[in-house]
Amino acid sequence: MKQKHLLLCLVLIGTAFTSRAQFSVGLETGINKNTLYTNTGFDAFTQYKSSNGFNIGVPVRYDFNSYIAIQADPQYIQKNYKLARTDFYDGVYTNYRNSYVQLPVMAHLSIGDKKLKGFLNLGAYAGYWASSHIKGTQPDIFGKSNDDLDQYTNLLQLKPGVKFDQKYDFDSRRDRRIELGALIGIGIEYELNSRYQIFAETRYYHGLTDLQKNYMIEQVPRYNQTFTGQVGCMYRFGK
Amino acid sequence: MNLTHLHRNTVKLILGIILIISTFSCRKEVPQINQPERYTQTNFADIFQSYWTGMNNSYIFWDIDHTNWDDVYKKYKPIFAKLNANDSTDIRKAYTYFKEMTSNLVDSHYTLKFNNDYLQDSAWIQPARSRHEKQPGYHGGFGKNFFKYTLMKKYLDTGAMFGDVTTYDRNYVYAVAGKIKANNILYLHFNTFYLKEVYGYTGNFSLAIRRTLQYYLDQVRNPAGLRGIIIDVRSNGGGQLADLDFLIGPLTDKSYVIGATRGKSGTGRLDYGPWIDAKVNATGANAFTAPVIILADVNSISMSEMTTMAIKALPSGNGKFVGEQTWGGTGPLSRNEFFNSGQFSTGFFRSVYTSSLMMRDKDGKIYENIGLSPDIEVKYDAAAIALGNDPQLERAINLIP
Repeated sequence: MKQKHLLLCLVLIGTAFTSRAQFSVGLETGINKNTLYTNTGFDAFTQYKSSNGFNIGVPVRYDFNSYIAIQADPQYIQKNYKLARTDFYDGVYTNYRNSYVQLPVMAHLSIGDKKLKGFLNLGAYAGYWASSHIKGTQPDIFGKSNDDLDQYTNLLQLKPGVKFDQKYDFDSRRDRRIELGALIGIGIEYELNSRYQIFAETRYYHGLTDLQKNYMIEQVPRYNQTFTGQVGCMYRFGK
Repeated sequence: MNLTHLHRNTVKLILGIILIISTFSCRKEVPQINQPERYTQTNFADIFQSYWTGMNNSYIFWDIDHTNWDDVYKKYKPIFAKLNANDSTDIRKAYTYFKEMTSNLVDSHYTLKFNNDYLQDSAWIQPARSRHEKQPGYHGGFGKNFFKYTLMKKYLDTGAMFGDVTTYDRNYVYAVAGKIKANNILYLHFNTFYLKEVYGYTGNFSLAIRRTLQYYLDQVRNPAGLRGIIIDVRSNGGGQLADLDFLIGPLTDKSYVIGATRGKSGTGRLDYGPWIDAKVNATGANAFTAPVIILADVNSISMSEMTTMAIKALPSGNGKFVGEQTWGGTGPLSRNEFFNSGQFSTGFFRSVYTSSLMMRDKDGKIYENIGLSPDIEVKYDAAAIALGNDPQLERAINLIP
């Protein structure tokens, strides 16, 4: 519902700006790799690993002149990661698929000739952690033991693994669902004609808010850091 | 746009870029979380910190526990910092502080076992035991002799069996099995859950208990004519989880869910993994459909409580719980590394004995520090027992038509 409201606002803003010559709106999509920046303390044979996701957005841009513009990309973006056990515990893991609705706002700085330009995006973003899904394998302490083995080389031989695939229930005491951060992106854009422009960009989102509220002493903070590679096209309104 | 204006915009832009880039370093510092075992124990600042950190990260019940662990840190850290680790008076003081700060922890397995020579004569700190002992009507456990002599003689047929053994890890295990007099009702009592293990022993030293367990297994595998089963876990302090399938598995021909458990997914107090179904794995050829009664009391802990859950959840709906509210220590134990939660040690503590997993029943209710309520309550009756009677068992017998 919140996404629908956001899109409606953008359409209204777009309509208001159509009389101005420098207003563009478009569509972008890409794939990303998210890393959870944190620490597993003394948890044995446990590590966080980066995971892939995708993102889709509707960039809107207002050009002040041919080299400076301001851009906002309301978007849906996944920020996934994996918690994996290693060595004797290999095979025990949890994949986290996190969905965010995010609004990056950035200065869009271009350089180059009229048709082909390079650009730098620099700005900040605010996101809302809309939902999360967990999937993986855990040892089942109640599982039927394998009595045939006289030694175990893996935990899942000793405690059979059980698969799970479920929605993650947020804990309001812990989970911080608003994320703020900075971004930087570089790319190239090509003007097909006076209306259409295509672009390719790689962008980095640097989370600055802990994904947890401050609820305990010696809390280990967690931050998202996301690299995306995306392509898109823009449509220019007005003359 | 004139040149001055352009320069002003450029300066603003550069300042903006510097501002944004500077924000990239605005993150909180990641603290180093050290393993409790790695702290030196030469001073009480470290002794306290190692224990507090171990609890902070490994204790499984922060979700439901009312102890404010941050307040414990703020209050006791400066107090411990003033104590001398080489002074016996201060070590005794530390003992009382540890007792205070753990008194309300909900984990009803929780036990602090000390490593310090000055505390060798001290009882272990067991918050749940202290709480139970203060309850009106609390009673001690039944002894072996009550089952071996009084109960067997008065209530069981002459073919009843008794067997005992001391296990390789020095646990004393005994079992009583037989038929209720003049009734085709199977009765089984045992003091601890080590049954599958001792059943697997070879050698004459374990012969009697293996025969006793074999008697139970033969009866439940061939239950023709059996009117019901009474499993008596009164005063049973728990033991190995494998016994759930060993005892209850033969009563069902399909595996079934009795509840769920969850461990930790990270170092945070509220970092929980998913709930994983806890099951009885079927080993029976047919479902046992006659009544199955479990007798439990306030001293029935851990596996006794899980077995009670399992009987109440029997798919045929033929399970009933008679007796008293149980102890309330339902969290299973395992090695800390398996689930990144549960028991740990420090130099000062030989063991901080605490559950590895949180457990709930099939209806989603957590009984930790609460205990399971009987379907039919029959209180412990010291006077009747002194006369050789067992009102709880009698009520169970009368429930079986």
